[in-house]
Amino acid sequence: MTELRSTLAGRITLTVLSTLTLLFLVLPIVVIVITSFGKDAFGSFPPSSWTLDWYKVLFADESKWPAALSLSVLVACLSTVFSLVLGMTAATALVRSDLPLRTAVYGLVLAPLVIPQVVIALGLFLFFEPAAMLGSPVAIALGHTVLASPIAVMILMATLKGIDERLEDAAASMGASRLTVARRITLPLAMPGLIAAAIFSFITSFDEFFISQFLSSVDTVTLPVQVFNVLQYDVDPSVTAISAILIGVAVVALALVAVVRRLGGPGQQEGLLPTEPGVGLAAGGETAS
Amino acid sequence: MAVLAPAPGAAAPVPGKKRLSRALSERRTRFGLLNAAPVVVYLLVLFVYPIFSTLLLSLKGDDGAFTLHWYADAFKGANLEILLTTLRISAETSLLSLVVGFVLAAAVSRLKPLWAGLVMVVVVVPHFISALVRTYGWIILLGEHGVVNNALTGLHFPGAPFQLLYNEVGVVIGTTSVMLPYTVLLLYAVMKGIDRRLMAAAASMGAGRLTIFRRVYVPLVAPGLVNAGILCFILCLGYYITPALMGGPKQTMVASLIDTQVMKQDQWNGASALGIILLLLTFAGLLLLKLLQSAGERYRNRGTAS
Repeated sequence: MTELRSTLAGRITLTVLSTLTLLFLVLPIVVIVITSFGKDAFGSFPPSSWTLDWYKVLFADESKWPAALSLSVLVACLSTVFSLVLGMTAATALVRSDLPLRTAVYGLVLAPLVIPQVVIALGLFLFFEPAAMLGSPVAIALGHTVLASPIAVMILMATLKGIDERLEDAAASMGASRLTVARRITLPLAMPGLIAAAIFSFITSFDEFFISQFLSSVDTVTLPVQVFNVLQYDVDPSVTAISAILIGVAVVALALVAVVRRLGGPGQQEGLLPTEPGVGLAAGGETAS
Repeated sequence: MAVLAPAPGAAAPVPGKKRLSRALSERRTRFGLLNAAPVVVYLLVLFVYPIFSTLLLSLKGDDGAFTLHWYADAFKGANLEILLTTLRISAETSLLSLVVGFVLAAAVSRLKPLWAGLVMVVVVVPHFISALVRTYGWIILLGEHGVVNNALTGLHFPGAPFQLLYNEVGVVIGTTSVMLPYTVLLLYAVMKGIDRRLMAAAASMGAGRLTIFRRVYVPLVAPGLVNAGILCFILCLGYYITPALMGGPKQTMVASLIDTQVMKQDQWNGASALGIILLLLTFAGLLLLKLLQSAGERYRNRGTAS
């Protein structure tokens, strides 16, 4: 018996408290999904009768949601492409080379995760406003990439560390050029990591609010900004339905990451989500120290 | 690639090998610089330069001359109050997140790996759902006729229904639920690494449960508490969504003020000064974290040396 046994009362208290905490995290999400199917969107809970009307209203003719949704998807796709390009090159530099000032580069890459987002958003506003680029999807996507690329870099660094460098060396020693090695050896092996990085970059951009808020114009509004405006100014019950759809998108995306990691072989499996921003924050703290 | 060709005089194996390895390492350096260039250029242009121009704008008067009066404005009257509110709400939220996160992380670190994994999924998945959506969930839950108040009234809880929205209670509850995944993850990482035999050893030497908790467990978890607390505080400082949607006029935070100044008042200089103040507070927090970490390390090293 090398462990201190906990008392029954202690275990019960701990279980009850942690169940309450889990409810605290999950309840706000569950309540939205249930309410979105209820007839009285803002009324009593649980709803007295069920309906799909709020989802139908979203795609009615005069609805402003489809435009916001398509802008958000466009911006998120652009931002994903930018983040993958920056992430793959940066991860290669940080893992596979003798980079001078490596710590400084790594610190710079992680810095956007600890700097207040309002400061980043304000800076980007001051940057794009004189160029008359407010409301441009490219500008918003470039802004989101500041937040998405650090996550992509961390995921891809972990992926590259997990790939045996000798495989690349072997191919190179047999005469393969750098490009061939990258295309035929590294890229296929890094595929699970690349997909995970793409998914996380996509959700980061898709859910981003503050930078979009500063960079959007009156007629180009992303989905989160639209949701915020509705919550703050209008009363539009269909916002519950759009929120439920956002929840669905996030859950499906995370499930995809889990599947990809599982398919990626035994090396990729430790933990469902070993590269979430929480870990990135820890790493940010480390580099700052 | 001329460097790669062995020099004619390099017959002796040792200098030749040295030269080859130096050439190889130069190649690796060049390769690294080439690959690091995109991200470095990108972040210098779209992250460092914009923040730098924010700093310049905050120091520029209406006539273009150097001035500190935007900062003086930020520390006066209503603005000062908003600054203090931000610090207060951040402190309250960090404290609550630490306490709640401590309990959950301690419970999870005792579970079998399979169960611990499942619970961590429940902790992490909400983190990837838009904070905006989760805040909206809280607005539904905490309304005057929301689930929480209905349940409390149903139980004949004295004083129910409570005012839980558009005041500080609502803001702290909502923000804590957004910050909780961070504290749980950071604390869990530390707690998982603790050797539970240390507690058993303390017990075998006659220490009571409270003493073990206070003298053994908490000191072992302390680095995680410091880390999680300060990071949570920093993240709260610039947080916008939940205070803006769940707070009343008395819960205006600096981020909301910046938003109003830029979007409604065209007051860019003042907003820049507020942004720089937030940035400096963040740096101060990170510096404090670093100092505490190195102090903790020195303390532990002294412990093992004696």
